[in-house]
Amino acid sequence: MFRDTLGLALKNALRNRRRTLLTVASISISLFLLGVLLSVYHAFYHQEGPPEQALRLVTRNRVSLTFSLPEYYEQRIRKVPGVRELVPSSWFGGVYIDNRPENFFPRFATDPERIFEIYKEFTVPPEQLEAFQSERTAAAVGKSLAERLNFKLGQRVTIKGDIYPVDLELTIRAIFAADVENQDFAMYFHRKYLEEALPQSRRGMVGTFGILADSAEAVPRIARQVDDLFRNSERQTKTETERAFQLSFVSMLGNVKVFLLSICGALVFTILLVAANTMGMSVRERITEIGVLKTLGFTSGRVLTMIVAEAVLISLAGGLVGCGLAWGASGVLRQSQLMLSGLSFSPPVFLISLSIALAIGILSSLVPALGATRLPITSALRHSG
Amino acid sequence: MVNDLVVEATDLHKEFQRDAFQVIALQDVHLTVQKGEFVAFMGPSGSGKSSLLYIIAAIDRPTRGRVKVLGRDLLQLKERAMADWRNENIGFIFQTFNLIPVLTARENVELPLLLTHLSRQERAEHAATALGLVGLSDRMDHYPRQLSGGQEQRVAIARAIVSDPSIILADEPTGDLDAQSAQEILTILSRLNRDHGKTILMVTHDPHAARHASKIRYLEKGQLLPEGAPQPE
Ligand SMILES: Nc1ncnc2c1ncn2[C@@H]1O[C@H](COP(=O)(O)OP(=O)(O)OP(=O)(O)O)[C@@H](O)[C@H]1O
Ligand SMILES: [Mg+2]
Repeated sequence: MFRDTLGLALKNALRNRRRTLLTVASISISLFLLGVLLSVYHAFYHQEGPPEQALRLVTRNRVSLTFSLPEYYEQRIRKVPGVRELVPSSWFGGVYIDNRPENFFPRFATDPERIFEIYKEFTVPPEQLEAFQSERTAAAVGKSLAERLNFKLGQRVTIKGDIYPVDLELTIRAIFAADVENQDFAMYFHRKYLEEALPQSRRGMVGTFGILADSAEAVPRIARQVDDLFRNSERQTKTETERAFQLSFVSMLGNVKVFLLSICGALVFTILLVAANTMGMSVRERITEIGVLKTLGFTSGRVLTMIVAEAVLISLAGGLVGCGLAWGASGVLRQSQLMLSGLSFSPPVFLISLSIALAIGILSSLVPALGATRLPITSALRHSG
Repeated sequence: MVNDLVVEATDLHKEFQRDAFQVIALQDVHLTVQKGEFVAFMGPSGSGKSSLLYIIAAIDRPTRGRVKVLGRDLLQLKERAMADWRNENIGFIFQTFNLIPVLTARENVELPLLLTHLSRQERAEHAATALGLVGLSDRMDHYPRQLSGGQEQRVAIARAIVSDPSIILADEPTGDLDAQSAQEILTILSRLNRDHGKTILMVTHDPHAARHASKIRYLEKGQLLPEGAPQPE
């Protein structure tokens, strides 16, 4: 019974091949865009970081990320119970070769002794770690960054300062790899080297402190206690989980969440209208046939199921093609753009996209199908066309 | 011989509301049809021939009156039961054939069987038999557009008889056909009536076609003229 209905639906779907193909194409393009947008959304807001991330916090200037903190805060934060380790780091900014986006990557001045203690998801070969730690001008780069810009061990890299009035001459001594694909896209170098190059007046400041907690339970309390420490200082702090910190970074781009979701919504709505129009057209052409089927003893419900099944077949076909395209595209984007390094067309996004395709199929056909199947047989048979 | 009454219609009225107008399609129709009869209905356009057929086929309900077909009071049936009843008891043939263009001849004929409990295999066999009966064994896998009008109508007849209904209703079955194809269709209908005992009610405009029937009834302005009444000019 089910199989017969599906068979009929398939034959009807192929009735007007060109129209079906165009519908499948437009649904797949929309679902492709939707899939990519949902992947971006997912990467920003829902992706679990590495498990180590649950233990980490970031302390920054309360006013904004562009303001710094005195380095001596480190000693006081260290005394907060539950803080196992912490590391200062400063966003260097600067220019490598030129301003083209493909030459952009994050560069941090940090403490080479501690950075890989806290970011345990990065693995460095021991001899490279030693080389990185023992040379004042050494730099460590992530594996995906090294692959992208073709960095080799021993290579000299010049970075022109912009936030800081100094140019850095660095030598790559270590390449570290993240256990999650493509998360290793930054460069780290010695904060001491930067400090020495700076004029006296600009020394002694730090961008952020990365804190490693003893346990995940201690994290909220540490955040509170650290901020309480500096409540009456000239430079107050804001301490939050690393995950929340990353999201606040994203929100600097404006209200990305609302923006993404409204584009997705508009996209779904548009394709729903297109699909409804097409289904309406193809149902109207078949009013007489529907009357014939009912004359033969088909119930309205069965004819309705057949029409909806046809629309679902079409929209799922479009959905699958669109998901395939989105899967391919998110792979390409992941390789190319830093902001989207966490991007992947994950199973939840796949399921959501397909459910949307399914819903489009059902909703687009339900109204015309209801109208046509409710029509009395005599009216349907008298229908011309 | 009450059991042999296939159709018993009493005081049938059918009205349609068209905008502000009340269109009377049937009024005061009394009709009985015996098992095994071949009745032709004639009358001018708009006289209510199709309306009468639709009511007997349980496709439509009268506005007033009673109608019993094969001993079943059709007005008692709910929508769903009416559909099942049609599927089991009625074979309907249209003037314009009304085959489903995306299905082959055999698939078209199998359609009514999709609603039964027959297996795939059994359905295929029944369809092949029905197509054999109308002389189209060699056209089973053709699509409607690959068939002539006469062949299409024969497929439609096969579809109407495939579930072995007792009654065949045909609404101007030869109206769209050339003389030779029409003759073939009428021959098949006569055979179904004579050899297979089917009760046939056929609407036609063509006096020649009507002569194949055992009885001719005339409709005029929604009224069924008395049996044996002279043919209106
Ligand atoms: N669904 C409907 N809605 C409104 N009016 C209808 C409907 N069906 C039939 N009628 C009207 O009822 C009357 C009888 O129609 P019917 O189709 O039964 O005539 P007919 O004898 O079959 O005519 P024809 O020879 O042209 O097929 C006509 O006036 C027709 O316009
Ligand atoms: Mg008619």
